[in-house]
Amino acid sequence: MEKIMPLDLLSSIKGASSSAAVNELFKVIQQAIPAEDGTALLESGDDAPVSLDELRSDEIVRSTQTEKEIIRQNFPGEKNGYLVVPKVIED
Amino acid sequence: MESEIHKIHQSVQDGAVSCTDLVKQKIDMLEKSANNTANFLLKESALQRASIVDQKVKTGKKIGLLEGVPFGIKDVFLLQGEHASASSAFLKNYISPYTATAIQKLLDEGAIPIVKENCDSFGHGSSTENTAFGPARNALNEDLVPGGSSGGSAVNVAKEYTTFSIGGDTGGSIRQPAGFNKVYGLKPTYGRISRYGLMAYASSTDCVGPISKSLEDIRILLNVMSGKDLHDQTSFDAPPVPEDIFKEKLKGDKLKVGFYTSFLENPSLDAGIKKDFLSLLTRLKDHKVDVIPMEFFDTNLLVSMYYILGMAETASNLARLDGINYGERLTAESLKAGYALTRSENFTEETKRRIIGGNQVLSQGHSEEIYLKARGLRNQVSARFEQEFKLVDIILSPVTPNLPPKLGSQNDPLEMYLSDAFTVGFSLGGLPTLTAPGGTETGIQITAPKRQEEKILKFANFLKEVE
Repeated sequence: MEKIMPLDLLSSIKGASSSAAVNELFKVIQQAIPAEDGTALLESGDDAPVSLDELRSDEIVRSTQTEKEIIRQNFPGEKNGYLVVPKVIED
Repeated sequence: MESEIHKIHQSVQDGAVSCTDLVKQKIDMLEKSANNTANFLLKESALQRASIVDQKVKTGKKIGLLEGVPFGIKDVFLLQGEHASASSAFLKNYISPYTATAIQKLLDEGAIPIVKENCDSFGHGSSTENTAFGPARNALNEDLVPGGSSGGSAVNVAKEYTTFSIGGDTGGSIRQPAGFNKVYGLKPTYGRISRYGLMAYASSTDCVGPISKSLEDIRILLNVMSGKDLHDQTSFDAPPVPEDIFKEKLKGDKLKVGFYTSFLENPSLDAGIKKDFLSLLTRLKDHKVDVIPMEFFDTNLLVSMYYILGMAETASNLARLDGINYGERLTAESLKAGYALTRSENFTEETKRRIIGGNQVLSQGHSEEIYLKARGLRNQVSARFEQEFKLVDIILSPVTPNLPPKLGSQNDPLEMYLSDAFTVGFSLGGLPTLTAPGGTETGIQITAPKRQEEKILKFANFLKEVE
């Protein structure tokens, strides 16, 4: 089922609405005429930042103890040694 | 070859100045400065590091070239145990859990970070006015903006508060402030320096780069920070730029330099910048350089492409800032209302504008006619660069269409976006680009094919003769 989400919900920003300045940028792209060769792929094919052959394996790298401590310190809420979340969703 | 790094290295090694005194002096200047470039001073850790260097010198040991050299870090990089605010209210109290790869490489060489530098919040801006720490001021005229988003970093280098600074450049954020403060600023080839530990703005164009007062220092820093990194899959290994590249002067009659007529036809181009640029081209011709005019995309189209893609990426990257795991948190009657309140109160207007714009282009109905079209056009930009570099060695352009505006005078966001007209195209192409001071009032931008930073540095050295 198609559902259009309003901008404030999409952005999680209260009263979010489109801006005139940004709409001007949109117009320029909408009116642009792409070159006839469509996607115009590079001859060298070197535009991909990384080759699929060079991807590293997907493995877990554990944080150090110092990193873990700082991550805990950065948590916005703490009570009696527990990290506090803003809302508990029970169902 | 002139080099601030070599000068400091020699003074500290010879005992002419102690590293502790040097660091104290720089931090003192930052504390007293009216330029508002420092979000956080790293006094305690910097003095600790300095005393280790002094101890080494006292016992007659040799120190490395960067050992004891004080530097600045744009406040979008992580440095373990220190603040990393992105100049935002959202992360004003955030502490870095780990250190960015580029910064770690400098620490490994013994360089000493002394300041986290003011910038536009999350890199969103071109003036260092969009910051929770108050606007920074230009190094040469405090009534003017320093440029942005790496404005604090460029000012610190120009004022010699830091020996060099490390900035981030997504669409011109190193090159434009370097031009506004008359220092060198390099945006390397996309991927040459790891982005790990740099807070993401637009991941497909984000680059890490050095700002300094000399070409030799740019070369040294590029070599130290470059290289493939396990944590950034877009990074790659590159051979170091050799030490002797400045010894042999380039010969003008062997050079082909292109420039874009569409840039010079930009109606908002300052008359003085245009005149100076054309005069530089004439001097290049006098040095027997083959100067070739080239057609390129309209600058408004480049700016629109860049901002649309950048906004889409920043909307995705900043979605993680919801006040749950880190950063400021405000609570409301429901979880979703809490997210919205937290984000609405802690992002600046400019950041909100970019997030909303990004979500607009990624949403149904807009994604095909705007976002995907902009991506297709970007491919065409890259293809054009590839063709053009078959004809020329270097592309030369002004850095900015305008002179630095007065603080507080630029209130129209579109005007600010359009001021990036000459820098964003090279970001979209992932090309290496250097701002060199001189040539025009806001510098000259020198661009080469991917991975050919060496060519840029050699040409920048050649330009000194042409000046």
